[in-house]
Amino acid sequence: MTKTILAVDDSGSLRQMLSFSLKAAGYGVIEAVDGQDGLNKAKQQTVDLVLTDQNMPGMDGLSLIRALRAMKNYQSVPILMLTTESGDDIKAMGRAAGANGWLVKPFDPARLNEVVKKLIG
Amino acid sequence: MLSHESRPDELMNTQVMRLLSGVSVHGDQHLAEVERDLVQMDVLLSEAIKKLCTSFMAIHHAIDLQQETLKGMLSAEKTAPEQAARLEALREEIGRHVGAAVTGLQFQDMTSQLIGRMVQHLAGLRDVFGALGTNGSADLPESGSEEMLAMLSRISDRVGARCTELAGTVRSTVNQRHMESGDIELF
Repeated sequence: MTKTILAVDDSGSLRQMLSFSLKAAGYGVIEAVDGQDGLNKAKQQTVDLVLTDQNMPGMDGLSLIRALRAMKNYQSVPILMLTTESGDDIKAMGRAAGANGWLVKPFDPARLNEVVKKLIG
Repeated sequence: MLSHESRPDELMNTQVMRLLSGVSVHGDQHLAEVERDLVQMDVLLSEAIKKLCTSFMAIHHAIDLQQETLKGMLSAEKTAPEQAARLEALREEIGRHVGAAVTGLQFQDMTSQLIGRMVQHLAGLRDVFGALGTNGSADLPESGSEEMLAMLSRISDRVGARCTELAGTVRSTVNQRHMESGDIELF
């Protein structure tokens, strides 16, 4: 059965690149334009992994993670942050919010797929 | 801190100097941030375009080789297993180059964040200059240095307040100096 990934990013080109890379590796992808859109789509369908940007208008990535972790069906779903930020402070906040990993942009499709495969097969 | 015993013209000079100094410092801060982001954008765009050019040239070359291999297969000059292995190697090579191009294509996301930050700084600078306005000459005291001093003090406070507000909202998030793919850390 195809595993589904929720890709949350306010940049259209980034979502396009994520979708292209993950679909090429055999995953299904649901796109969301910001944290709130991501949360709405996560409520409609439980996905296998969430990949989210941090800085987005409205609800940011950390707030999305906290909201997802508060939901019963998202307590053990892997969540990865994919962001331009790489500071130790914000990484610690991500970890505290419940993220399982931190990827700094720009991403390499092969390395991204390796990490995703490691987490959800 | 101004002394009550200072002469009015000394107080006036102090307020004018405080105002000019505030505008100069805050204007300089905003322009320095914009300058920093422009330099960063230039680095990212140059790296991205270089990466995309290299990737597309490499894809073009690999596809040429693939075509030659297919021609060889059709003319049956070599054995099929060798040709199949060659085609598989070329497929992997093309995949690597496409992956590198995907990394390069992400420059738009990072540069758009920098542009957004620059726009906020320019708007902040406009606000600072706007705070200097006195809403027309009707607000200018016609006489009396006390009123003039109070007005200058209010303008300085407004300039300071707008700069403090902006400093809290515009944070730099793009510090990449090259387009190599970023770190991955699993918690």
